[in-house]
Amino acid sequence: MNEKAKIRLIIEVKKSLKEIMDDFSDVPEEMGYFYERFRAFFEETPNNGKKVIATMCIHVPVELIYAVGAIPLRVCSGARSMAEIGEEFFPAKACPLIKSTFGALYLNIFPMAAAPAMIINPTTCDHKKKIGEMAEDIDSCFYTLELPPTKETEEARFYWHMVVKKLAKELERVTGQRLTRKKLKAAIGIVSLAQAQLRRLYNIRKGNPVIWGNNAILVANAYFFDDIANWTDRLSRLNDELEDRARRNQYVVGQEAPRILLAGSPSIFPNMTLPVMIEQMGGIVVAEEFCSSSRSLYDMVAVDEWSLYDMIPAIADRYLKPGICPCFTPNIDRKRRLLNIAGDFCIDGVIYNSFAGCQLYQMESRHVEKILEQNGIPMLYLETDYTSDNTGQLTTRLQAFMELLQDQKS
Amino acid sequence: MKKIRAFINNSNISKFRFYFQIAAFVLFVYGGYFYVTISEKLPTFACPFNKGSGGTCYLMPLQHQLHMTWSRFIGPGGIHLLKGFLVFACFGLVFSKAWCGYLCPLGTIQDWITKLRKVLHIRFSKYGETTFKGLKKIKYILLFLLIIIPLGVSNSLLWLPKFSHDIFPPFCKICPGRIVLPLFTGDTSQIYIDFSTKTAMTMTALGMIVTGIFFTGSFFKKRFFCLFCPMSALLYIFSKVAILRLNKNVAKCTRCGNCYRVCDVGIKEIADDVINKNIVKDDCMLCLKCVEACPEEGCLEVSFFNIPVFMSTETGFFKRYCLRNEIK
Ligand code: SF4
Ligand code: SF4
Repeated sequence: MNEKAKIRLIIEVKKSLKEIMDDFSDVPEEMGYFYERFRAFFEETPNNGKKVIATMCIHVPVELIYAVGAIPLRVCSGARSMAEIGEEFFPAKACPLIKSTFGALYLNIFPMAAAPAMIINPTTCDHKKKIGEMAEDIDSCFYTLELPPTKETEEARFYWHMVVKKLAKELERVTGQRLTRKKLKAAIGIVSLAQAQLRRLYNIRKGNPVIWGNNAILVANAYFFDDIANWTDRLSRLNDELEDRARRNQYVVGQEAPRILLAGSPSIFPNMTLPVMIEQMGGIVVAEEFCSSSRSLYDMVAVDEWSLYDMIPAIADRYLKPGICPCFTPNIDRKRRLLNIAGDFCIDGVIYNSFAGCQLYQMESRHVEKILEQNGIPMLYLETDYTSDNTGQLTTRLQAFMELLQDQKS
Repeated sequence: MKKIRAFINNSNISKFRFYFQIAAFVLFVYGGYFYVTISEKLPTFACPFNKGSGGTCYLMPLQHQLHMTWSRFIGPGGIHLLKGFLVFACFGLVFSKAWCGYLCPLGTIQDWITKLRKVLHIRFSKYGETTFKGLKKIKYILLFLLIIIPLGVSNSLLWLPKFSHDIFPPFCKICPGRIVLPLFTGDTSQIYIDFSTKTAMTMTALGMIVTGIFFTGSFFKKRFFCLFCPMSALLYIFSKVAILRLNKNVAKCTRCGNCYRVCDVGIKEIADDVINKNIVKDDCMLCLKCVEACPEEGCLEVSFFNIPVFMSTETGFFKRYCLRNEIK
C-alpha cells in the first residue's frame, strides 16, 4: 500500500504543479525557486543532524523549536491520495485535511523525507483532539498542545502561558538541548525576518496585482517545510522583483479582474483547485485568510524584558491573542479582521471555503456572510473536499459569482 | 515633511523618554538651586519638602487651600482655590497624563528601579485581574481623603468633632515623595517618626511604611506606586478632553495584545477595547510604549491639537523589536 500511495501522491504533486506552471504566464522569475521546492517535495534534504519537530497547526510556537536547535516541519497535508488512506480511520464526514494529514503520518510520508522526533498537535478542533489518541496507529509520538477554547479571558491566557512553558520543557527533553535566553532571542529574530518578508509580500499585493494568488499561496506554503533562512532570502528576492514589476506597471491581470479574498479552510499544496480555478476564470486572489498563509506568519512577538521569564509568555501571547481560528469562542476578531483585509486590499468579493466536515468554519460562515453583506461585500460560500467529484457544480457556482463581480466592476 | 514624520514614527520613543525623564528629574529636583520655580500648581510630584525642588506639587497647595472654614469658601479663599485649580487644569489640559510618564520624578525613580531589576534578570510579579481592579480603586479613595480631611480639620463634618491638626497635610504625611525626593539633595531629615501625639505618630509611621512599600513594590512591579497615586486620579479628569491624546484606530487593531503586554501599568483595554477612539485610561501615563509595540500601521496614534505626532508603523515595530535581534 505504501508504495502505491506514494506513487499516486507523486503524480498528484506533479499534476498540480504542472497545472499552475502551464496555465499562468508572466510569472516572476524568482518563483522558479519555489516551484523547484514543490517539485522536490519528497526528496530527502540534509538537516545537519538537527532533530525535526512536526507541527500540525499555526498555534505551535515555532520559536521554541528553533531555540532548542531543532527544525519545525508543518505536516498539514493537502493530498487527496493521503486523504484516501486516512479515510480508514475517520467517520465518513470527517475533514479531508485531517484525513490526509493522518494518512501521511500513517504511511510515514513527510515532506523532505524527514523523520520527526515528535508531533505537536494543538487541540484546535474535535478531529485534532481525537487524533492525539490514535497514536498507536502511527510510529511517531504525539504531543498534545492544550489550546484554550477562548482567548478573551486572562484565565485562558495564563493557562496558555503554562502550556507553552510545559512545551518548552518537553522540547528541551526531546532534543537534549537547553533553552537559553540568547538562543530564544535569536530564534525570535530569525522568525521575525521571515515575518518581515511575508508582510512585505502582503503590502505588495495590496496594490495592482503583480503576482498570481496561487503563486503567493505556494510561496507561503513552502514555509511549511523549507529552511527558514533560505525561504526568507528567496522571498526577499521575489519581493524585490515584484516591487520592480510594480514600478514598471507590469501586472499579471488588468484592472477589470475582480479582486478576491479567499477565506476559510486553507488551500494546501497539492490541493490548489480553488485558487487555480478562480484565476482561470479571470479573477485574482489578492489576499487569503488562511492558516496556511497570511495567518501563519503575520502576527508579531513583542517582548518587554529580554529574559526567559518574559520571552516565553510573549511568544505564547503571539500564538493566542491575535488568533482568529474558528475554534475560539467568541470569534468577533475574525470578522473584524476580514473587514479590515477587505478594505486594505480593495476586495471585490469574498470566497469562503469550508472543508466538508469542518463544522467550525461552516458554522461561522453565516455570521461572516451577514457582516460582509452589511458592508456591501458579496460573498460566495463553498463547501469542498479533496475529491474532484463535484468540480462541475463548483465551476458553475464560481462562474456565476465571477460574472456578478465583473458586472459590478464595469 | 513625510520624511520627518517617518523618522519620528520609526524612532525609539522609550530611549527619548529615558533622557527626557532625566532632564525633567534634574529640573524638578535640583532646579530650585538655580532659582527655577516653574509653578506652584504642578500636576507632578515636585515636592517642596525638597529644598532643591523646581516647583511645587499641586497636592500641597490644594490641601492647604481646602483647609479653611466653610464661610471662607464664598470669599477670597474660594477664589484662591478656584484660581489654583485653573492653573493646574491648564497643565493637565495640555499634557494630560504625560506628566506621569515623562515628568514625574517619583515615576522616574520607579522606572530606574525597574531598570535595575531588569539588569539583575529578576522576574516581575504578577497579580490577577481582580486584585488589580481592587488596587486601582485605592487612588480614588486617597483623593477623596485628601480633600475631605483638610475640610474636616477646619470644619466639623457631619457634626463630628474637628480632626486634630496633627493629621495635616494628610497626603504629604504619607507621601513617599516627601521622604524620597529630599534624599537626592542629601537631606535625610524627613526620615522620622513623630512621637509627640498619637495622630502624628500614626501619620508619620504610615509615611515610612508607604515609602517602604514604594521601594519594594516598584522593584517587583513596574510603576507600582502609580496605581495608588491620587494625582493620577486627578489628572484623569482632563484626559478625555486634553490636547494631547492617545487614539486608537479600532478597525486596524488585531487585538494581538502587544500593547497590553508591554504596558508598564497593565492596561488591558488598550488592546481589548475596539470601540473607543480616545483610549487613555485612568492608570495610563502616556509613556507611549504601546504605540511602539503595535505592529499595525497607524493603529495607535498620539495627537496634539488633533494633529497626529506619533503613530504605530510596521517599519517602526520591526526596527524596535525585531531586526536588531538577529544572531550576533
Ligand atoms: S498592539 Fe496594536 S494591533 Fe495589537 S492589540 Fe494593541 S492596538 Fe491592537
Ligand atoms: S496604555 Fe500605553 S501609554 Fe498608557 S501607560 Fe500603557 S503603554 Fe504607556
